[in-house]
Amino acid sequence: MRKLLRRIFLVDLVEGLLVTFRYQHPKYITTEQYPAERPKVAERYRGAPRLNNNPETGETLCIACNLCALACPETLIVVGSERNEQTRRKELTTFTYDTSRCMFCGLCEDACPVDALELTQDFELASYSREGAIWDREMLEDGPRPTKYKY
Amino acid sequence: MADPTFLDSTELVLNMGPQHPSTHGVLRVILKLDGEKVLGTECVIGYLHRGVEKIGENRTYQMFAPYVDRTDYVASVSNGLGYCLAVEKLLNVEAPPRAQAVRVILTELNRISSHLVWLGTHCLDIGAITPLFYTFREREMIMDIYEKYCGARLTTHAFRIGGLQYELYEGFEQECRDLCDWFLPRVDEYEQLLTGNRILVARMTNVGVLTAEDCKAYGVTGPMLRAAGVPWDLRKAQPYSGYEQYEFEIPTGKNGDTYDRYLVRMEEMRQSVRIIRQAADRIPDGPIMAKVPKVIKPPVGEVYVSIEAPKGELGYLIVSDGSTQPYRVRIRPPSFINLQSLDKMARGALVADIVAIIGTIDIVLGEVDR
Amino acid sequence: MAEEGKPVPKPPAAQAGSAAPKAPPQMAATPWESELTQALAARFGDEILEFSSYLGQEFLVARPAAVIPILEWLKTEAGFDYLVDITAVDYPARAERFELFYILYSFARNQRIRIKTNLPDGGRPATATGVHLTANWLEREVFDMFGIEFAGHPDLRRILMPEEWQGHPLRKDYSILTQDQAWVRENLGIESAQ
Repeated sequence: MRKLLRRIFLVDLVEGLLVTFRYQHPKYITTEQYPAERPKVAERYRGAPRLNNNPETGETLCIACNLCALACPETLIVVGSERNEQTRRKELTTFTYDTSRCMFCGLCEDACPVDALELTQDFELASYSREGAIWDREMLEDGPRPTKYKY
Repeated sequence: MADPTFLDSTELVLNMGPQHPSTHGVLRVILKLDGEKVLGTECVIGYLHRGVEKIGENRTYQMFAPYVDRTDYVASVSNGLGYCLAVEKLLNVEAPPRAQAVRVILTELNRISSHLVWLGTHCLDIGAITPLFYTFREREMIMDIYEKYCGARLTTHAFRIGGLQYELYEGFEQECRDLCDWFLPRVDEYEQLLTGNRILVARMTNVGVLTAEDCKAYGVTGPMLRAAGVPWDLRKAQPYSGYEQYEFEIPTGKNGDTYDRYLVRMEEMRQSVRIIRQAADRIPDGPIMAKVPKVIKPPVGEVYVSIEAPKGELGYLIVSDGSTQPYRVRIRPPSFINLQSLDKMARGALVADIVAIIGTIDIVLGEVDR
Repeated sequence: MAEEGKPVPKPPAAQAGSAAPKAPPQMAATPWESELTQALAARFGDEILEFSSYLGQEFLVARPAAVIPILEWLKTEAGFDYLVDITAVDYPARAERFELFYILYSFARNQRIRIKTNLPDGGRPATATGVHLTANWLEREVFDMFGIEFAGHPDLRRILMPEEWQGHPLRKDYSILTQDQAWVRENLGIESAQ
């Protein structure tokens, strides 16, 4: 008898609907209003690559050891260097990073011995052309500049 | 015997094409129908074939680890675990206990995450739209933990050969516990929404029945096998990464139909929460990485290691020739092998049941095609 | 990082002018003895070439013609009712180029076993679909990737590559940059950039 009443009055469907209607309360809103508020990503987020500079002197931290290029599974990093005769060390000249093929695995960041190359929290990497995704040294040091929307 | 009239149906071949909202990816199913009843199906796959096994022969062992994440992209942590365990076995090293405990936590979170995707999309295909939002909201919390730990939400590359790369961040255990506390009532909520619902019950019971003998004959593993009544789970049968220390049960079903698989997966989510709680309470201290050389050159040999991925038995056969690159990497994909049983389950069903059956096999095309 | 030629262990007599021919590095496998191996040896005799184990994983090497009877025997007599995987490895330097792997598991014994067999190019092993239904797609994939045809298979077609593709991708002489130019030109309408 109870089962019959449950069937006639659609009790099981109403139970489900109660859950759905409970969630209509505004406190359950989880939508993020992007791009007005950009999400805060974690510190270790593997986003846009960046070449770091020494904060005091402004010189690049990269020692042109090529370990990042060797670690990359897609071999998309090309490190250009020349030997400085006075200090007998290699100095960085060009650094090319192809973000269109990058899978953001983080192996280059793990390989860098001096923390020069790191993957930052930027995730807005779109560009209007295929060549725009290949970053050279300036773009790597400055970082991508996503459009800021004004409301 | 009346003459055949205009309304008599002949066999119709219908293409459920690679672009279809319910095929969970680029899967093409060619259906032979007699009216609404299915006479036979044929799966055409390979639309997402990227040659991962060929890539494996051209990358070093550490470099290949991000690629395996992209086979089962919904549950990428398990893939990484299987691969790292296989290479570690080849090198004859074992990850330290701390690494093993963290691996267990992340893998179980991964299992919950994969089952949430399954639940959301399966019920969406059947017609219940709201569970999708709720399951993906829970999944956001899990992916936040992944993001804080290793830096990526989906293709995590969380484990390295020999252990872990990253030390745990501040508050990892507490966040895991909070997630478990938040999540268990949510599972009850999904049950309230779905389990007793007559529409769901009608669409799921006696649909896609696969008995235990059929499962074993077709090589089907994972929740499908357990729903048929076989209490077999690789975490209990051949434990890896410290699973023998944790207490959990293996949920089984009786009939092997879609409804039983639904119940089995819901219960598995609860058991995963149990494992996470146990593991988070006692993560041992110690190193996170075993002594593994920088350049990994395993001795000549081959090894097959398999783990219980959320979809079934995920195995890696790695053949090494002594150099830094594997000679052959074979990924034994559970979704590929489970998908074979689609034809068996679909015969005699209705067209609307095909959608439910594809959903219940829980395929991820990245793994089917590699 | 595409290497055109894989560093294959050179066969002993292939180098002209070298001092001593080096044997290819072998797997450090240890012999495996158990009641299962004794029963198999009693039943199949010299069809099985070796019983070994490496890193705790047991395998046996058999002649190609004996594989299906071994699979049947293992399924009916020894309880290995679950075929985990069928796959192959290509060793182009060997005369018997392909090594076909069958991995079996027994629920009752909780034991996994590998059966390996060596096939020359063009060898046609018998299909395992009569013994284990799951071999259907697995053998199709081995055919697709390696070109090993299975005699008696109900539906031997390509499964992952398109139907008309020429070439078998996982062979070692198929470089990672190779593509079937004709197929790409016809179906995609572009000149392949590979």
